[in-house]
Amino acid sequence: MIAVELRKLFRRPRTWITIALLNSLPVLVAVLLKVTDLAPRPGEGPAFLSAVLTNGTLFPLAALAIVLPLFLPIAVAVVAGDSVAGEAQGGTLRYLLARPAGRTRLLVAKLVALVVFVLVTVVIVAIVGYVVGTTLFEVQSLGATTAVSGTSLTPDQVAGRTLLSIGYVTISMLGVAAFAMFFSTLTDSPQLATLGALAVLIGSSLLFTLDAASDIAPYLPTRYWLSFVDFFRDPILWRNVVRGLGLQAVYVVVLLGAAWANFTTKDITS
Amino acid sequence: MSGTVIATHGLRKSFGAVRAVDGIDLDVRAGDVYGFLGANGSGKTTTVRMLLGLVLPTAGTVEVLGRPIPKAGREVLPRVGALIEGPAAYGHLSATANLSLSDASGPGGSRRTRKARIGEVLDQVGLGGVGKRAVRGFSLGMRQRLGLAGALLRRPDLLVLDEPTNGLDPQGIHEIRELLLDLNRTGTTVFLSSHLLAEIEQLATRVGVLDRGRMVLQDDLATLTAPTGATVVDTPRAAQAREVLGDRVLSADGDRLVVRGSEPAEVNAVLVGAGVPVHGLTLQRPTLEEVVLAAAAGSGDRVQAGAAS
Amino acid sequence: MVVRGWRWVVVALGLAVLVALPALVEALPADDEDVSPADLRAQVLASDDVAFSGYAISSGGLTLPVSDALTGVADLLSDQTALRAWYRGSDDWRVDVVTPTGETGTHRDASGTWTWDYADQRASRGDDPPLALPTAPDLLPSALGRRLLSEAGDDELSRIAPARVAGVDAVGLRYTPADPAASVSAVDVWVDPSTGLPVRVVVRSAGTATPALDTRFLDLDLSAPAATTTAFDPPPGADVTAERDLTDVDLGRQERADLPATLADLGRRSFDGVPDQIGAYGSGITVLAVSALPGRAAGSLRDQLERTPGAVVDDLGVRIAAGPLSLMVAGTSTRDGGSGTYLLAGTVTLDALATAARQIQEAAR
Repeated sequence: MIAVELRKLFRRPRTWITIALLNSLPVLVAVLLKVTDLAPRPGEGPAFLSAVLTNGTLFPLAALAIVLPLFLPIAVAVVAGDSVAGEAQGGTLRYLLARPAGRTRLLVAKLVALVVFVLVTVVIVAIVGYVVGTTLFEVQSLGATTAVSGTSLTPDQVAGRTLLSIGYVTISMLGVAAFAMFFSTLTDSPQLATLGALAVLIGSSLLFTLDAASDIAPYLPTRYWLSFVDFFRDPILWRNVVRGLGLQAVYVVVLLGAAWANFTTKDITS
Repeated sequence: MSGTVIATHGLRKSFGAVRAVDGIDLDVRAGDVYGFLGANGSGKTTTVRMLLGLVLPTAGTVEVLGRPIPKAGREVLPRVGALIEGPAAYGHLSATANLSLSDASGPGGSRRTRKARIGEVLDQVGLGGVGKRAVRGFSLGMRQRLGLAGALLRRPDLLVLDEPTNGLDPQGIHEIRELLLDLNRTGTTVFLSSHLLAEIEQLATRVGVLDRGRMVLQDDLATLTAPTGATVVDTPRAAQAREVLGDRVLSADGDRLVVRGSEPAEVNAVLVGAGVPVHGLTLQRPTLEEVVLAAAAGSGDRVQAGAAS
Repeated sequence: MVVRGWRWVVVALGLAVLVALPALVEALPADDEDVSPADLRAQVLASDDVAFSGYAISSGGLTLPVSDALTGVADLLSDQTALRAWYRGSDDWRVDVVTPTGETGTHRDASGTWTWDYADQRASRGDDPPLALPTAPDLLPSALGRRLLSEAGDDELSRIAPARVAGVDAVGLRYTPADPAASVSAVDVWVDPSTGLPVRVVVRSAGTATPALDTRFLDLDLSAPAATTTAFDPPPGADVTAERDLTDVDLGRQERADLPATLADLGRRSFDGVPDQIGAYGSGITVLAVSALPGRAAGSLRDQLERTPGAVVDDLGVRIAAGPLSLMVAGTSTRDGGSGTYLLAGTVTLDALATAARQIQEAAR
């Protein structure tokens, strides 16, 4: 079932178009940086971007930081919003369920396929970022990279922590994915499900900046997104990373539970 | 294969205040070609969806192949092929890929035999030459054939088909009809839901008629269209024939007379004996249309003034 | 017939458990211990050799009228600051102020401090100046608790209910300054009873429910961190500078001032390294600093204070209060040949400030 969902997802041209579009922004940023040589002041702009001019191997991280706030969650919301509602709209859902692909099974398979999609997307962003970064910018092959804490990281450490970041960013997207998937079981319109998830995303980002909402801030799905930066402190600051993972897990469990409760008893009339 | 294939008891489905299906008792037996007739909106599709576990009944039970639905769906549905309210497929994939995905997404479809089975059903429905083409470019008729291929993929014991000849040209309709009859001869029970009387009349051995959510008729087609005990006489001298037969003539319409008497030979003898030429003589049978119209009240699309408000 | 509702019940119950769990854990009562307030204070003051590492959050509830030279301080006292700390001893520790995309680290060694600023890619070396503006490391509960309790008298201390802080059942100690001039109504310190380490400090000012400052550990590990963690070497390519300390800030050293021995019943005291021109008064948590101001600086600061909501302007000068902090530009302007202008700042009431200003004027006459 999972293999079937993966085949559906990755044999679909739209999936690859989404990934290509997602990569266009960091590439554009890299080209602009190269042409103008105007790096953002350190501490401003996306994380790690200021360091890229002197060390191209950090560009995968800068690329992640560039797509993280908006592009990546939109891509995830589009694909996740389409997961069930898209099948309903296309009419294939009734055949799938009459086949019968169990409803719970289908949901889980869709979620796993989504996770793979996010992972593939993030890895591609990082790889494209690495290729672009090392082609356009200087590479400190001998010297070490300076961590956020002012200590030096060996290239091996940078590679390892970049992998950790890729994993963390992937998991960070699961909350949005779970929202979109839940909405996707509520409606037969994939666009509506995607918009619902985006509304959650934008609401969460907005509340996060609001002091009056500081009491609920730790529960916002976007709260710990930037914590992948914590992998580049020395020693690694695990606190927020662990909380971020826990929070995403809670969102996935609750929303998948709600999706399950709704979907397994839903009349399929599409 | 013997016994009851589909049995529902007091099956009811309400959407809000509307009772789409209101207490129907389906009885489909092994080897039947069951024609499920009903106007648009009479609850046919909802019933079909309940048989397949897509819509959950408000009340009543469904048994398919002797097992309860939706509870035993995982066991039963792999043995059921279905075409529900038109075909659906992933447009960017080929016909073969669509069938392969569908087969892989549930139990009962062996991976080993998949390729062979797909080739076979595509040939069966007449799509053998376009298996590799993306479904996006398919015509409505081709899609309908592909949907049918999907239903046949696992050699089901029961076919549940909702309007299977939709979008097909007369040639196609004929082909599909032959295919279904062929399958039925080899033991497949066919549940055919349609609003096309002619189609049901040509295919079905048993008929159920649904009207506004209620089952108004369910019987063997042969019984429904059994001889009425009258003979239809076609004669160029209708007036003379009436004189000869007297009050045995039940009705007359031009050259056509309906005469009491279930023995055409006897009627023929009387007329010929009186020198009345006879062009044709048949036992009178009611058409399915007449049976259905007598049983069902009207078209489901028709909304009386005041009823909609 | 399918019963549909139970799935939603399961989901709702699961959600309720997940939402309630943090609150339930927090509501678990903390164990108390029978320690006298004086003993507890002694334990706190002796805790500066307790090694630990941890993560702390400091929230300031003050709104300061910001002067450009003091933005750093204002941020510390009005915002939330996340701190990571590694402490091996009083001259071997590291405190990082963590921001979402960067950090500022202070590394203390035997001869001074390194400060690393990631945003500016700058490392600066400072010796340990006697007079310095508060910096983030001072907000760590351990450091702040020891400092605030250092001059508390036994009769000003009482015990309050214990609290669970960073997984520690911490015993509570309240310091209520007895001095009538005090603007701080109470300082609550929760202490790890096994080591004496303050784990949470809340500074309360009279008349407002919002604490002026609330700093506490969220994570605390009482094992000694590695020496390599607290050490610092400027990374290659970083900008290395020497740090400015407060004695370089022009606070009007050229203005001679003869300050009285007591102001508003607070006695004058001297600290090593603090120049004569700055008068320090009071003790414990009730302190007042007085310095003469050069005319131009006085004019702009006075303007700024006058624009602050709630500022009191009278013939003594302009004074404002932000929580327990109070600030005053006193005296007439030197431009009209007056008696000189003074800056008064401290944790005293506005009335005490006014009294002090009057006493300075009288002394100068």
